[in-house]
Amino acid sequence: MTLRVTSGMTSSVVLADIQNASAKVAALQQKLSSGKELTSASDNPYAVSRALQLRNDLVSNQQYQRNVSDATSWHSVTDSTLGHISDYVLRARDLVLQGANETNGPGGRSAIVAELTQMVDSIKSEANTQIAGRYIFAGSATTTKPYALGASDTYAGNTDTIKREIGPGVQIDLNEAGSAVIGDSTAGLLKSLRDAITHLDAGDTASLQTTDLTSLLSAQDAVINIRAQVGARQTRLDTATSRLQEVEQTQTDLLSKTEDADMAKTYVDFSTQQAVYQAALKAGSQIVQSSLLDFLR
Amino acid sequence: MASTFFGVETALRGILAQQRALEVTSHNITNAGTAGFTRQKAELVASSPYDTGKGLVGAGVDVQGYQRVRDNFIDIQLRAQTMKTGYAQARQDGLQQITGALSEPGTNGLNSLLSKFFSSWQDVANSPEDGASRAALAQNAQALSTGFRDLSGQIGVVTSQTGLAVTDTISQINSIGQRIATLNATITAAITTGNQPNDLLDQRDTLLDQLGTFTNVSWTENANGTTDVTVGGAALVSGSSATTLVESDFTSLTSGKLAALVELRDTTLPGYLTQLNSVAKSLADKVNTQHALGYDLATGAPGGSFFTYTAGSEASTLGLSAAIAGDTSLIAASDTAPSSIGAQAGNGSNAIAIANLISDPTIAGSYVSLVTKIGSDTQESTRELANSTALASTLDARRQSVSGVSLDEEMTNLIKFQRGFQAASRALNTMDDMLELIITRTGRAGL
Repeated sequence: MTLRVTSGMTSSVVLADIQNASAKVAALQQKLSSGKELTSASDNPYAVSRALQLRNDLVSNQQYQRNVSDATSWHSVTDSTLGHISDYVLRARDLVLQGANETNGPGGRSAIVAELTQMVDSIKSEANTQIAGRYIFAGSATTTKPYALGASDTYAGNTDTIKREIGPGVQIDLNEAGSAVIGDSTAGLLKSLRDAITHLDAGDTASLQTTDLTSLLSAQDAVINIRAQVGARQTRLDTATSRLQEVEQTQTDLLSKTEDADMAKTYVDFSTQQAVYQAALKAGSQIVQSSLLDFLR
Repeated sequence: MASTFFGVETALRGILAQQRALEVTSHNITNAGTAGFTRQKAELVASSPYDTGKGLVGAGVDVQGYQRVRDNFIDIQLRAQTMKTGYAQARQDGLQQITGALSEPGTNGLNSLLSKFFSSWQDVANSPEDGASRAALAQNAQALSTGFRDLSGQIGVVTSQTGLAVTDTISQINSIGQRIATLNATITAAITTGNQPNDLLDQRDTLLDQLGTFTNVSWTENANGTTDVTVGGAALVSGSSATTLVESDFTSLTSGKLAALVELRDTTLPGYLTQLNSVAKSLADKVNTQHALGYDLATGAPGGSFFTYTAGSEASTLGLSAAIAGDTSLIAASDTAPSSIGAQAGNGSNAIAIANLISDPTIAGSYVSLVTKIGSDTQESTRELANSTALASTLDARRQSVSGVSLDEEMTNLIKFQRGFQAASRALNTMDDMLELIITRTGRAGL
C-alpha cells in the first residue's frame, strides 16, 4: 500500500518546515547583528567556559600592566632622586677635600661648614620625595615623613620592602629604605657629613683627610649600588611590560576566535538559509491550496 | 419463488446504502480540519442472498457499520513519544530561564564581577594608603555580593514558578481524568445499545494524547468500551469514575511535563543553588581567612571578617561586612603588624595575597564549571526537545496518513457514491418500467 498523503499532513509538514527555516534564519541573524558566536551559556558550553577563563585572564593581565606602570613611575622618581643625591655626594667630597687642605683658614672652613649643613637638609628633602602623597624612601610607612629637616637626623621610616605583583606569582620590590640610601644619625651618608662638619669646625684636617673621605666614598658607593639595583629592576619592568602586552594580544586573539562569529561564513550561511526559508514559503503557498476539488466541475 | 417486487427492494437497498456512504463522506469532508478526528468509513456488505430454490440470488447491499480508520499501534508509539516531548519541553523552558539569568558570557555576569573584585584588590595593593582605591574595592565587593544574591534569587524564582506549574499540571491532569470518565460512561451506554460512538471515541483519544504530554500514561481498553487510565503510577480513571490525584499519588513519574517539572524543582535547580552557595561560601571563607592574616590601616589590628553570610544560604545572604562598608580603612592590606599606626601604610602584600585568590579553583573555577554545567544541561535539553519533536511529528504524520482525511480521496468517494446512487435509482426505474409493462400491458385480451 502506498502512503496516503492527507491534507492535514501536508499542511503540518509544510508548517513545521517553515518554522524550522525561520528559526534558523533568526539564529543566524542574531549572530550577524551581535557579531558573537556565543550569546548564551548553552550555545557551546565548552567554548563558553574557555571564554570565561580567557576573560578573567585578560582582566588580570590588564591589572598587571597597571601594576607595572605604577611601579615604573615609582622607579623613575626613585632613580632621579638618587641621581640628585649622588650629585650632592660628589660636591660634598670636593668640599671635604678643600676643607682638609691645610691652606684653608678657619674662615674658609666655616663657609664650607655652612654649605655642608645646608646640603644635609637638601639631601634629607630629597629623601622626603613623594609620589601621589606617598613617601618613597620611608619603607612601608609611606605616610610617615622619613626625615625631619634641621639638627635631628633620625630616620622615621622602616626598612620593610613594598612588593608589586607584575605577573601571576611574580613580585618585584618597589622601594629603597631611606636609611640604606642616606643613613641616619648613627651611620651612612648623613653621619659622614655630620662628622665632617664637626671635624671642619675643630680644624681636625687629619680626620678629614682619612676617615671622613673614606666614609664619604663608601656612602657614595652605597648610593651608586642602590641606583644600579633600581636600574636593573626598571629593565625588568620594561621587559615585563612588553611580555604582558604580547600575552594580552594572544589572549585577545584567542577570545575573539572563541567568542566572535566568523562574519564571512555567517553571512553566507544566512543567505543560504534565507533562500531555503523563501523556498519553503513558496512551496507552502502552492501545495496547501490545490486538491482534486479544483479540477472537478 | 421471489416476489415480484424483489428487484425494487434490491434497488432501494442500493439507494439507501449509497446515501449513507455519501453522508459519511460528507462528515469526513467537513471534519478535514478537526483536531483528533479519525476518518470514518461506511462498511458496505452484500445483503443476505435469497434462496430461490434453484440457487441463491443476490439481494443488494447493506450498511453493516461505521468504522474509524485507526491504527492502535501508532497511538502507543506516538503517545510514548509525546511524553518525551512534554518532558523535554518543560525541562528546556526552565533551564533556558536559568541560562538567561546567568548572562554569561557577558560583562554583567558573575564571572566579570569576580574578576573586577579581585582586580580591585591589586589596586588597593598599589596604593594601600589611598582611600579611593579602598572605596572602589568596597563598591566592587558590594556589586559582587549583589550579583550572587540576584542569581540565587533568580534560581529561587524559577524554582517556585516550577512548583506552581506542578500544581497547575496536576489539576489539568485531574480535569482530563474527569472528562475521560464522563466520556467512558457515555461510550459504554452507546455500545450497550449497539451503536458505535466514533466521534466520542475520537474525543477520548484526543484527551489521552493530551495526557501524554503531561505525564507517563498507560491505558487499558475494557470489553464494555471504557478505558482505564493510569498516570505516573496512580490510577486516574477506572471505568466511569475518576480519582482526583495529589502530588504524592504520583509514585513513578518517568516522563512527561510533570516529571520534568518535579525533577527541576527537587533536583536540578536545588543542585545549581548548592553549587552557587559553595562558590559564595568558598569566596567568603578564603577572603576572610586571608584578610584575618593582614592588618588594617586605621588601628593596625588584624583584619576582621570581610564578607558576611548565613550558613546554608551563602549566595543569597552574601554581603560586605558592615564595619568595612562603614570604614574602608579597616581593610587589612598589610601583611605586617605595624609598630605604630600608619607604620605599614604602604604595605599591600596581604591585598596581593587576596587578589591571587582569583586563581583558586574553588572560586572562579568552580563558578565556571557551574556555568558549563547549566549550559550543557540546557543544550542537551534543547537537543532532546528537537529530537523528540521530530520523532513525534514523524509518528503524527503516520497517524495522519492512516486516520487523516484526504480531500482527494473523499472527492473520489463522492463521485463513486453519487454514481452508485444514480445507478441504483436507474435500476429502480427499470424495475418500475418492467412492472408497468406487466400491470398495464399484459392480460388485456379479455378487455
